Amino acid sequence: MSSATVCGHMTVINQSMNGRAPAAVEARALVKTYDDVEAVRGVDLRVEAGEVFGFLGPNGAGKSTTVKMLTTLLTITSGSAAVAGIDVTAEPDAVRRRIGVALQEAGLDPRQNGRELLILQARLFGMTTAAAAERAQALLALVELEDAADRRIKTYSGGMKRRLDLASALVHRPDVLFLDEPTTGLDPSSRLTIWDEVRRINERGTTVFLTTQYLEEADALCDRLAIIDGGRIVREGTPASLKAELRERLGLGSDPSLDDVFLDATGRSRSRVAGDVQEVAA
Amino acid sequence: MSQAWVLGQRALREGWRTPEALLPTLFIPLFFLVVNVGQAAKIFPSASTGFLHGQGYGAFQLPSSLLLAGSFGTAALFLVEEIEGGYFDKLRATPVSRSAIVLGRLSAEGAKALLIATLMVFLGLIFGISIASGVIGFVLLIGLTALWSVVFVGFMQLVALKTRSAAATNSAGLVFFPLLFLTPNFVPRDMLTRPMEIAATLNPVTYVMESLRSLVLQDLHWASIWPGFLVVAVAGALMVALNVRTINRYD
Repeated sequence: MSSATVCGHMTVINQSMNGRAPAAVEARALVKTYDDVEAVRGVDLRVEAGEVFGFLGPNGAGKSTTVKMLTTLLTITSGSAAVAGIDVTAEPDAVRRRIGVALQEAGLDPRQNGRELLILQARLFGMTTAAAAERAQALLALVELEDAADRRIKTYSGGMKRRLDLASALVHRPDVLFLDEPTTGLDPSSRLTIWDEVRRINERGTTVFLTTQYLEEADALCDRLAIIDGGRIVREGTPASLKAELRERLGLGSDPSLDDVFLDATGRSRSRVAGDVQEVAA
Repeated sequence: MSQAWVLGQRALREGWRTPEALLPTLFIPLFFLVVNVGQAAKIFPSASTGFLHGQGYGAFQLPSSLLLAGSFGTAALFLVEEIEGGYFDKLRATPVSRSAIVLGRLSAEGAKALLIATLMVFLGLIFGISIASGVIGFVLLIGLTALWSVVFVGFMQLVALKTRSAAATNSAGLVFFPLLFLTPNFVPRDMLTRPMEIAATLNPVTYVMESLRSLVLQDLHWASIWPGFLVVAVAGALMVALNVRTINRYD
């Protein structure tokens, strides 16, 4: 595993397409432009198989845009990306067969019930009706939604929806699971449940690519992480190595927190962050 | 096709579980049928009006109401909800073919239109309208209505995919009214003023309406029937192609 790298622009991979074993996720000089706006400005990433990789950044940094490019949901303006060793642009359907996706919005159909949604998802991945029903039952048990399986999704709580979304991303046993802010808006108890699920999924061999704004979540779950700001990767490494790098660079007496690493990487200070959320009275 | 079938079943469940969206597609066209007949039936008595072929004015107006019933396009509004809620992205992240995403919804909309059209025709039969072209004509009548509904919801879905806005999609549905009023809606085409006749001749919906009307008022008169089917076949193929292309390029 590489040590921490302070990145101006491109750093994180560079060797992948040069003979190492295929990475679970690999991006080179990834760019996404909307009209005149550069949402992602040259991202390089390499996520090894079996890792839980955290992708952090402030709002509007380019996290979700990067995830959407990696999951075939957005076109890539320039650069390249491969997931499970498959080129995202050249073979999007092959990539879709190998990935599971749970996006920020917990995209679910509120008029179906949980079981119907999972069966449908399984059928779309080519399973027979019987196999899909069996898989749905197993997943409902996994995310502890058996009792609510036959209720309409619109009656589910936020935490239940997240768990169902997670289950729907797992129907086809993906190699790589993309989770885009899976715990945003959840209460602490639901958040811990999702963390347990992520750990369990990863222990079964699935690589997890997790975007989050919660630094304690990244600290608790991720083997490695990258911080993106302004469409560029600005830090990459293990949580411990990133803290050690900041401690050494600033000559601190003890390890800083991941919050400090994040604030340092994104050029923000605690006072500025506090100011960002202050209301302005007219 | 199995993917389209699975997605079509889901869309049917969605419709069935949202009766408040389905019921107006039956009652509003019936309302217009009653009002139009009430306003104009005395002007066109069946005994002395040749273009009614011995039936009442209600039989002449039934095709307009069938077309209206097939032009609500509620499936497109469900699609906007899916786009806004993130489920559409969830579908796009699966290896399902893009044509199955389109055909699933369209086929469900066609099935719903078959049901609505059948109910409307049966209600018409109760109130004295007869289908002069017989059982085959009845099947063609509801089939053509369903195909028109597929075309129209295809258009609405296209707007939904392009704008991703419920307001814009809803407004796009209003395009049906100019299309309807530029047809021989109240009288046959040869009785329209010259400018209206030209406009009606250029309007493809005219041929669908004339085809439906022929099936209600006359024995199977293929020369009047096939142009309607040609219009929905061409327009339907165009809508499916444009929808699939838009999803393929969706960003």
